Order: sequence, then structure tokens, then C-alpha cells
Amino acid sequence: MNNIWLLTKIMLKNSSRLGSRKKGGEWKSLMLVALMLIGFLPMIISGVWFVAELYDGLAQIGQESAILGLGLALVSCAIFVLGIIYVITVFYYSQDVEHLLPLPLAPREILGAKFLVALFYEYLTELILIGPLLVVYGVKSDAGVLYYLFAIILFLVVPVVPLALSSILVMLFMRFTNIGKRKDRFRLIGGIVGIGAVLGFQYFIQKQRSAMEDIEQLQQQLLSGENVLLNLATQLFPSTKLAVLALVESGYWSGMGYLLAFLLATIAGFLVFSFAGDRLYFAGVMGISESAGTRKKVEGDAFAKLAQKRSAWWSFAIKEWRVIWRTPAYMLNCLLPSLLMPFLILIPLVGIQEKKDVLEAIRGWITGTGGLSVAIFLAGSIVLACMNSASVTAITREGQAFFLSKSFPLPFRQFLLAKLFPGTILSMLSILVLLAVAAWFLPITPLLASLAVLVSIPGVVLMNQFGFLIDLQRPKLGWTSEQEAVKQNINPLFSLLFGVLLTGITVIGVVSWGGSLIPVALVLFLVFGILNLLLYRVLVKKGPEWMDKIEE
Amino acid sequence: MIELNGVSKSYNGIRRAVDNLDLTIPDGEIFGFLGPNGAGKTTTIKMITGIIKPDAGQIRINGTDIATDPIKAKQRFGYVPDSPDLFLRLKGLEYVSFMADIYGVEQDVRNSRIETLAKRFDMQDALGDTIQSYSHGMRQKIVIMGVLVHHPEVWILDEPLTGLDPKSSFTLKEMMREHADSGRTVFFSTHVLEVAEKLCDRVAIINKGKILFCGTFPQMQEHFQSHQSLESLFLELTKHE
Repeated sequence: MNNIWLLTKIMLKNSSRLGSRKKGGEWKSLMLVALMLIGFLPMIISGVWFVAELYDGLAQIGQESAILGLGLALVSCAIFVLGIIYVITVFYYSQDVEHLLPLPLAPREILGAKFLVALFYEYLTELILIGPLLVVYGVKSDAGVLYYLFAIILFLVVPVVPLALSSILVMLFMRFTNIGKRKDRFRLIGGIVGIGAVLGFQYFIQKQRSAMEDIEQLQQQLLSGENVLLNLATQLFPSTKLAVLALVESGYWSGMGYLLAFLLATIAGFLVFSFAGDRLYFAGVMGISESAGTRKKVEGDAFAKLAQKRSAWWSFAIKEWRVIWRTPAYMLNCLLPSLLMPFLILIPLVGIQEKKDVLEAIRGWITGTGGLSVAIFLAGSIVLACMNSASVTAITREGQAFFLSKSFPLPFRQFLLAKLFPGTILSMLSILVLLAVAAWFLPITPLLASLAVLVSIPGVVLMNQFGFLIDLQRPKLGWTSEQEAVKQNINPLFSLLFGVLLTGITVIGVVSWGGSLIPVALVLFLVFGILNLLLYRVLVKKGPEWMDKIEE
Repeated sequence: MIELNGVSKSYNGIRRAVDNLDLTIPDGEIFGFLGPNGAGKTTTIKMITGIIKPDAGQIRINGTDIATDPIKAKQRFGYVPDSPDLFLRLKGLEYVSFMADIYGVEQDVRNSRIETLAKRFDMQDALGDTIQSYSHGMRQKIVIMGVLVHHPEVWILDEPLTGLDPKSSFTLKEMMREHADSGRTVFFSTHVLEVAEKLCDRVAIINKGKILFCGTFPQMQEHFQSHQSLESLFLELTKHE
């Protein structure tokens, strides 16, 4: 057990930025986090409002505890799905594995520490998903101290079982298949399965027609036991029922009993995980970092193609592009979102084409709103650009190679263009996919489509420039796995926050102006064009100085 | 030629990694930069190559100040960093060609240079594979090839011999000699004192950010009035600091 604690502490220290920051760096980080919380306040408030409404509705018929069931079920499913991707990269492919294997440690000790680190990061997910829910429920039900105590305990132990389950699944897979040896392909498949699960999940909810905005319908489903999500989660993780009962009856002895039972179930889950780990982990992980080349001579056309001369900035841009395509963690975070997100937006629209009256209403709305439709498309493109981390991790992705890049005789302007290239191209691609999706399902005129694209281009370029600006200010270069570079990195959140603010201001501005289509499109194009020029000038002027400051 | 005048660097405002360093490495010389771990060798090299900024002092490469005209100064040198675990997702040939692009090497010379280098370092069969599949020594070789492909006037090499097999190590040393003999500069850091003793025209010994000695090996023996090896002198010199 001591070894587990020791390893956990080292792994956490190694992955946190705070340890290596200069003096005063902690304050800066804390302030940034505070700023971000303020930025996300509207989202949190609407979440709280939603839970409160749901509570009131269900409380009338004495079924409010269904909320807790839904929340815990949701969180268990989310952690299970995220856990699969996390376990593949952190248990098997992170660079520290090679240093840990020769140490006299039992598999369960290495795994235990990695599990605890994973748990630590899952708490952040959990905090967003059910933190507000637990508090709202407590306040609404006038719960006593015991409820909050139980809630804290449950908050800490709920992710254990889903995470143990995903770990066991991955370990079985790695032990008994040979796919792990082709690690890039496997990581990619794992990631795609994860995204597929999210997509399927979304589709499922949509099919249930339990869209979150329809509180009454959701209440109905919860009551009649028709909610597929809840049933699925309670079947997968039967122990969540115990957690719910513990919370609901926190004022009674029975609550204590349920809590103990839940804790026992969790401990059992962890023991099964340790037991499985001792038998499966080493066999799956050993030799996994080996990768063999073909060692064939490159000649003739193949040589000419690879050694072809390009201009310096273009060669740099191509290098960025290749690295994104060849690194599964980068592909999953920088490439796929641009292409998949428009489809996520599409899912709610499935079936809308048959509803002539709805289509008619939308057509009327689009013509009636004038310029607003183009502003909404712009907002969608900006949000899509935020989902794509290519520019906001442009420097971070290089890791230690960044310092070699600093010694290149490449003017900053060219460096900037090369770094913005992949993100901008990918965001443009997502605009096209979004437009295609929109044109397929919604009555959009060619004029609206062309104006939407015209306006969105400066919109996404601005987001990419802004992302690069953030990464230039606080790059995370000391990562040990590529996953860490793009996932355990809060820079994309800043970009998202900026994007949300920008779309908010744009849409509110256009609504209060009430202009018609063409003038709105022209003004937006001009405004975003000017913003781009300004930001570009700032980057070119101050960028070299900021880059100089990145020294370790 | 590399010139450092009064160069200092401290971290977190307290620890002086490099302290008021003066150093001139003339053309036509192999210059060895020696010192214990953490003495300030890599910090100095990173300042010369423009990766970190000195707090004070001036650095010139073939007469060009790296602070005022970084692009021109950077075109003059090639730099091999201390760790070769870089650009692992690129194929060997892609990496060398990328370096050739960054330094604007023309198509006709690039092909023949890559072929010659690959032959000399025995890397012909590995160029089509990703650097990730290379051993430590092969990674070191591909990074060296990436530097030599653009024929820099000044070579700056941080621990270039680490991990190389005897043949490649011999080849690199031979190439360093040829480069210096053609009237250009080779500046390299090493821990292997036998190599320094045999290969270098001059050496500097740095400890705790300060130069303890700079000159030829016979000068060093004369200075300390001793016929001991470089290793013994080095240990003697860095012991009391």
C-alpha cells in the first residue's frame, strides 16, 4: 500500500504544472482558473436551474429521488466511456511505464497508483456532471449534515466501479489480443470507439425524445421507468441504486446501511481490479513500447518524393500536418472533432424532413430573422473551431522538440503561418461539413449559404489565431505522453470560453440591431476581418518576444 | 567563429547557471567544452543557439549578434541537441529533408548530400522508417545528419558522441576534423575526456557557471606544472570548486 501512495504522489507531481512553475506562477494559474469559472457561470447556473425545475416537478408526486438516480447513472456511464480511452493511454502507452517495469513493484502497485491518478482526474469530470446536482438536491430537500457528508463520501467513491470495469475490459483486451502491439492503430480505434459511443449515446437520447429542454417528458419517463439511460446504467452498475438509497435515507439508520453496502461493493470492485491486474497487466504491457521499422532502402521515386524541396514555412506546415495525422492522441483531439461535430449537431435534426409543417415554420423563421441566421451559422462555426485543439496546442504538441525549433532560422511570421495552417484548414473543413449538413436538413438558399461561408472564414481564422496566442502564453512542453499534451491541458478551455463570449456578443449584437441578411453579413465580415488583422499584428509584433520567454 | 562576451544567465533570479562568461572560438578549431554535470555547459550552448536568452552579455556567430539579428546568426550554425528523442513521428528521410528545407538546401545538392551522409553513417536502410523505430544511436545519427545536410559554417554539438557505435563515432570525429581543417568552427561538449584530449585543438573547463581554464592541453599541463592526463587534471580542477 505504501508503494501505491508513493507512486501516486510522484505521478501527480510529475503531471501537474504547479511543481515546475516559477515563483508567482501558482497565483497566475489560480487566477486563470477563477476567471474560467466565472466564464462558465452561465452554464453552471442553467444546469442548477434545470435540476431545480426537475426537482419541483418530481417532488409534487414524491419521486424526487429519481434525480439522484439519473445523475449517478449519467456519471457512471461517462466515467466508464472516458475511462476506456484513459486506461489505454495511461496504463499502457505512457512513457513512465518503461521506467516502472524494472522496479521491484507488483503489477497491482503500479496499477493502483495509476488508478488513483486516473480517479483524481475523473473527479474533475464528476464535479461538473453531478456537483451542482448533489448540492441542489440537498438544498431543495432541506437535507441535514449527514446528507452532505454522505454526498461527499459518495462523490469520492462513485467513479471507482466504472473505472475498474473499464480497466478490466482494456486489460483483458490487451492480454489476449495482439492488437496492442500495433499501438497507434489500437489507440486510434479505442478513441474512435469512445467517440462512437458518445455519438450513439446522443442518438439514443434523441430517439427517446427526452431532449433535455423538455423537462416534463423527462419527468414522465423517470417515473414510468421508461428512461433507457437510467435502466442501462443501473443494469451496468447495480450498486448505484445503493448510493441513491444511501442519500435519500441519509437521515436514518438504513441510510448508513446502504452507504456501507455501497462502500463494500466498491471495495469488492477494486479488489477484483487488483486481482485481474496482477494476472493480466504485465503480460499485456511488456514489450509494448517496442516498434519495428521495415528497414528497407528508399530509392528512386520514393526517395525523390520524400526529399523534395519545399519552402521553409510550407515544410514546417507539412511537418505539423503529418504529426497530427500520425499521432492518435492528436488525431482524436485535433482532427476528428472538426469532422464529427457537425454530425453531432445533425442528430437532433434526423426525421425533421418528414415534418412539412416544422420545415415550413423554419423557412418562415429564417426569412423572418434576416441577418440573424448568418450570425447563428457564424456562431456554430466558431464553436466548431473551439472544439478543434490544433492551434491551441500548436506549441505544446512539439514538446521538447520546440527548443530545437527555436534554433531554426525561421522568421516568426513564417513560424506563425505554419502553426496556424492545420487548425485553420481543419476548421474550414468543418464549416463545409456543417454547411452540407445544414443544407441537407434545412431550407437554406444559395445566397444564405455563400454569405454564411464568407462570414465564417474570418470567424474561424480568428479563433485559430486566438488559440495560438493562448498556447504561446502558457505552453505545456514537459509532457510524458502525447495524450497528456492535449488532454490534461486547460488551454483549449480558454479558447472555448473566448469563443462562447464572442458568439454571445455577436448574436446579441445582431439581434439588437435587427439588420437584414446582406448588411449583417457584410458588417460581420468586416468586423471579424479587422479583428483578425489586429490580432495578427499583435502576434507578429509581440510573438517573438513571447516565444523568447519560453525557456523550460 | 563564436564569441561570447560577459554572458550571464540565472534561473529564478537566484542560481547563477552561467556567470560572466568570456570565450572566443576561432575558425579552424575543434573546441571542447568540458565540465561536471550541471556546470552550465548546456545552458551556454542553448544561449549560443538562441534557445534561451542571456541576462547579460553578447554572443556573436561569425560576427553576427544572435540577439539583434537572430535569423542571420542562426543560418550560420547547425546544432545537435543533447537528447535525440525528437520528431519521432517523422520518417528519417522526412526529417533530414525537413531540415534541408528550413535551411534552404537546393534539390540537386540535397539528394547527393543525404545519400553520402546515409552511407557514411550506415543509415541507408533506415531512412524510410519512422524515427520512433530507431535505437538511441540511430536517433543520434539522424539528428546529426539533419545538421550536416545544410553544411553549416559553425557546428555546435551537445554531447554528440553519446550512443554512437564505434564506427559512427569514428566517422563523426573524422568529419569534425575535416570541417575544422577547412577553416571552419566545431564547438562541442563532452564528458569523454579521452576524446577531448585526442580530438580538440583547445578545451575550456567550466564549473558552477565559470570558466576555470581555457587553452590547449599542453598549455594546461604547463599551467599546472604536471604531466598528468586530462582526466586527472580535470578531476583536480573541479574538486575544490
